[in-house]
Amino acid sequence: MFRTALLRSARSATSQVVRRTGAIARPVAPSSFVTKSQFAPSAFQAARCYSAASGLQKSEVEGRIVDLLKNFDKVTDPSKLSPTSHFANDLGLDSLDTVEVVMAIEEEFSIEIPDKEADAIHSVDKAVEYILAQPDGELFEMRVGDGGEAWPLNDGPRGVL
Amino acid sequence: MALQAYRHLLRSTRIAFAGDAPVLHAARAEARNGFRQNAALSAGSPELAEAVKHAEEVAQILRHNVVQGKKEGEDLYKLKIHEHTERGDNDTVKMPNGKSVVIDGKTCADR
Repeated sequence: MFRTALLRSARSATSQVVRRTGAIARPVAPSSFVTKSQFAPSAFQAARCYSAASGLQKSEVEGRIVDLLKNFDKVTDPSKLSPTSHFANDLGLDSLDTVEVVMAIEEEFSIEIPDKEADAIHSVDKAVEYILAQPDGELFEMRVGDGGEAWPLNDGPRGVL
Repeated sequence: MALQAYRHLLRSTRIAFAGDAPVLHAARAEARNGFRQNAALSAGSPELAEAVKHAEEVAQILRHNVVQGKKEGEDLYKLKIHEHTERGDNDTVKMPNGKSVVIDGKTCADR
């Protein structure tokens, strides 16, 4: 019993920390599909990866995908963007654009979508559904250097964002 | 088919040019142009199969045989060799059936 209480307090502490940082910091490595000028790279910047202890909320996933599409230069009419938009029917993207969008989503959420699943993603809600179905990654904090290289503060994996 | 080739190609650019934004952008622009140029090819035509094969081969080369280096000082370059990089020597390049040697955590010295 004592252990569950301890765990619970630890968990709530973590989620508070997560909440206090506000919007989740994204990797500074630029995607070639979208321009993220709002994330000016600084020499050192702490990045929290997409995996938070509480998991991803549906609204957050939707927001991030819609934001990503907003920055995609082929989307000419941002007013048609909604959590249910179809890439081809609503946004006027062709099949190559769709591949690029799915690739940008992969980079946004640091996952790799297998070909078969990737071919089936044709709309924002399908993408959201797929992301939410993925198991959570581990929570770790990293520091990101200006060359894009990242190293963990604890003993998480070392890598390049 | 073509879409999968396009996806593989984009993935390979990410592996080969990770952390080098200008080259990554250029490579992806080039890939996009190539695919746009051939967008009119009709399904099932031999030219299409040829173009898709070409794209897959480019993806393969980018992934296995392109390594970026960074100058670290006088006569010193740091190479970004990753787990997909083909690794071999004068004997292994002659291996039959297109077998290739890839990095598995060992260094080149202990083969």
